Amino acid sequence: MMRMWIGRAALAMSFAAVCGAALADEFLVGVEVPLSGALARVGTGMHEGISVAADVFNRKSGKHKVKLITIDDESSPAKAVAAVEKLASQGVVAIDGGYGSNNIGPASDAANKAGLVYITSGGVDEGLTQRGFNTFYRINNTAGYSKAMLGLLADMKASNVSIVYLTKEATSALAKDVDKALTAKGVKTTMHPFDASVTDFKPIVNKIKLQDKPDVIAMVGYETDYAGILRAAKVLKPDVKAMVGVWSLATTKMAEDFPDLMDNVYGTALLPFPAEFTTADGKDFADTYKKLYGKEPDYLGQFGYVQSMLLFEAIARAADNGTLKSGGVATELRKTNRDTLIGRVQFDEKGDNPNFSHRMGQHQGKKIAVVWPAESANAKMKFPGVPW
Amino acid sequence: MTELTLQALWSGVLLGSSYALIALGLAVVFGTMHVINLAHGELVVLAAYVAYTCESQLGLNPLLAIPAAVIVVCAAAALTYLCVDRIAKDRELNSLLLTYGIAVMLTNGVLMLFKADIRSTKSTWLTDAVVMGPLFSMRSEIVFFIVALALMALLWWWLTRTWSGRALRAVASNRDAARLMGIEPRRIELASFVVAGLLAAFAGVAIYSFGVVSPSLGTTLTVKAFVITVLAGMGSIPGVLVGALLLGIVETMTTTFGSSALQELAGMVLFLVVLFVMPNGLFGRART
Repeated sequence: MMRMWIGRAALAMSFAAVCGAALADEFLVGVEVPLSGALARVGTGMHEGISVAADVFNRKSGKHKVKLITIDDESSPAKAVAAVEKLASQGVVAIDGGYGSNNIGPASDAANKAGLVYITSGGVDEGLTQRGFNTFYRINNTAGYSKAMLGLLADMKASNVSIVYLTKEATSALAKDVDKALTAKGVKTTMHPFDASVTDFKPIVNKIKLQDKPDVIAMVGYETDYAGILRAAKVLKPDVKAMVGVWSLATTKMAEDFPDLMDNVYGTALLPFPAEFTTADGKDFADTYKKLYGKEPDYLGQFGYVQSMLLFEAIARAADNGTLKSGGVATELRKTNRDTLIGRVQFDEKGDNPNFSHRMGQHQGKKIAVVWPAESANAKMKFPGVPW
Repeated sequence: MTELTLQALWSGVLLGSSYALIALGLAVVFGTMHVINLAHGELVVLAAYVAYTCESQLGLNPLLAIPAAVIVVCAAAALTYLCVDRIAKDRELNSLLLTYGIAVMLTNGVLMLFKADIRSTKSTWLTDAVVMGPLFSMRSEIVFFIVALALMALLWWWLTRTWSGRALRAVASNRDAARLMGIEPRRIELASFVVAGLLAAFAGVAIYSFGVVSPSLGTTLTVKAFVITVLAGMGSIPGVLVGALLLGIVETMTTTFGSSALQELAGMVLFLVVLFVMPNGLFGRART
């Protein structure tokens, strides 16, 4: 009888230990993203990628699980800071997300003060990685976008480029980078900054048409701006050989929403459409994304997925090493060196990914073809070519 | 240079007429009730999303969505009035908070229903170019330029030539005196909100037809409408037209001969200069 009781007690104790371990291994991860306000669309896209990463990680990882706590920062820097502070008070082990350099700056500052790692793909402002934080990490940067745009313009042998850019931090930095590099190569450039409140782009495009007379119009802005610039260009029909943009342009959404404006337009694109995932990780991501959201994955989801998987893996490694509460997540993130859906990711001493280089895609009918760099291209670029 | 100047002027006139369409509703409500409806921009956005729904779900040209937009937005405007009407004290001040709250609710309602994606018409008929010599524009811009002028003429006729219009002006001038003359102020105020809703419906369909809309656009529109209303002289309908055209032309001229990054600044400088020289706005009269 006594032996039976001891056996039962041992069983109960080991069950409690297993449960305890399981509970201890569920890590809270704070997600601070804009789900409303001006950045709601991009924030929602990133959040979808983060959720897919959590689903895949929890399915694949036997020992560790992550639980996401999401707070909408309403596209406001002050609310982003409040969100990070609230997440820190709820015991999260790291912060994932953030969109817009002006929100990410103060939010990651708050995370740093709380001793939490902050990882993102939503802000490319150079200043973000110049603050000497050990806790800030990002997987993409201006240099990667600039490299892609310059590579494409070089392939086009453009000799005169008009750069139309939004006067926000990230867009200005990229436009100035491209301008500097082109000028150094002897390409004639003309800069056309515009404020976020501009809705009618005809006066700018008319100036380009009548005064600049460029080969290529380069656009650095967001979806609303691209639609406005392309619509104005369709009305004024400047004599250019190509319309080249960056983020948020070579996407299926833009092709669906603006079918008359997108044909032959270029933008950064990680993958062609229809998407072709060749790696096991890529297929897992695409299948889970379709299962959760019932649609094809986009680049925002991809970036959100990659940053989150890297973070979750670092959390798991830090937990295994017993360094989770002593800065282990940051240490483990610095050791990252692996291939991902956006290429090889490593972090330098500033938390930036020096390997990041984007690809350029072109809307070709209802497809998006990757046309630069040559080693990743799945189609030839249609050049010269404009939507009108 | 001539070509550039003419196009800048033409773009400014078209931009200004769209601003006028947005600002008229705000001016009507302010003129009658001295209430600044901070949800006015959101009503415009609501109309744009009605046009989007009609186009994407029923395949209707956005112009044919105007009746549906008018019904939905006028109903929303009437509900806004019913809320404002319940304010017992300090209506001018408290209505600011109330309408701001309604604006937040409308923005988030639109966000929940339609998501944060940007929307615009797919009708190539509306977005095709119309070329008149050196002047270029979209067909929808011309259509809504004419609509804006027609609506302003109609509004002016209604305010000056009909009994209800005169009653509205009487309430705007002196609410208590109007009541003594047998006018029911609440009914007139409701009418002013409904008229503002009607104007917002046209403005929303116009923006959807030649621009791009998103749920968060409302605040920008309200600010623009407010600037024009003050520039015009509070409650002045001809002032709204002149103020809006002036603002549109100043903005496009700044873009053409300066930098588009200075466009907003130029508009604000114009606003400050006008108020400095004419403290009651372009067509405003000193309030006693």
